[in-house]
Amino acid sequence: MTNQEDIEQRLARLSTETTALRPSAGFSARVMLAIQAQTQPSFLETTWFSARRLVPIAAMAAALAVVWAVQVDGTVDDELAASYASMGLE
Amino acid sequence: MEPLEKAVDRVLAGDRSAFQLIVDATSQKLVRLGARIMGNQADAEDVVQEAYVKAYRALTAGEFDRRSSTNTWLYRIVVNGAIDAKRSRKRRGEASDEQVEAGWDGAALAEARVALSELDQWLEALPPDQRATLVLQTMEGLNNTEIAQVMGVSEGAVEQRLVRARATLRQKREQS
Repeated sequence: MTNQEDIEQRLARLSTETTALRPSAGFSARVMLAIQAQTQPSFLETTWFSARRLVPIAAMAAALAVVWAVQVDGTVDDELAASYASMGLE
Repeated sequence: MEPLEKAVDRVLAGDRSAFQLIVDATSQKLVRLGARIMGNQADAEDVVQEAYVKAYRALTAGEFDRRSSTNTWLYRIVVNGAIDAKRSRKRRGEASDEQVEAGWDGAALAEARVALSELDQWLEALPPDQRATLVLQTMEGLNNTEIAQVMGVSEGAVEQRLVRARATLRQKREQS
């Protein structure tokens, strides 16, 4: 800064002299890689995302299993009752 | 509609590769802005890269409401990132990192590097928000209304920062 150069002149000069600044080679590619790396889902997220599709099927299978278990339980109860009744008769 | 806004439309429509167009169209001026605030190219590239990651996330999450132009929005992310990085450097008492210039060559770039170093030493006395405000006005050519939009403050606050920044620089000059 010379004695004559005031603040505005110095700012203007440094603005002109730094106009040539530009990103280093490969900057754009590095940015896209960083975006890819930081926005990829983690292993847990991927697993959960895949597993989420199976949730309705699993829920339906569980409901069918409960229905089947109740039916089987009812049949067993009937047969037990019948066998107690026959034992009582004997 | 400008090519930049079209690229944003494409990203919003699900064409994520169009973000490359946004980077190509804006990286030169954003790195230059970042360098003028940070005082060196390496830190500027870190700040701008992080800004692009934030911008991409915001775009793909539908968080960019387009109340401001894409340029103003990107300026805001970079300026905020640069001010935060500058503050955290000052807190830790770290000096600027002058490394990246490995890829630089040519007289114009060498001259720009020297000028950037001079700028950094001169503006080092200013708080990061005043420095960023002064850079936006005197080097990026923004008016006070535009600076207020970029920095998310009132025009009065912009004016106050500029007055304080110039007063500090004047005082520094009288002392030297």
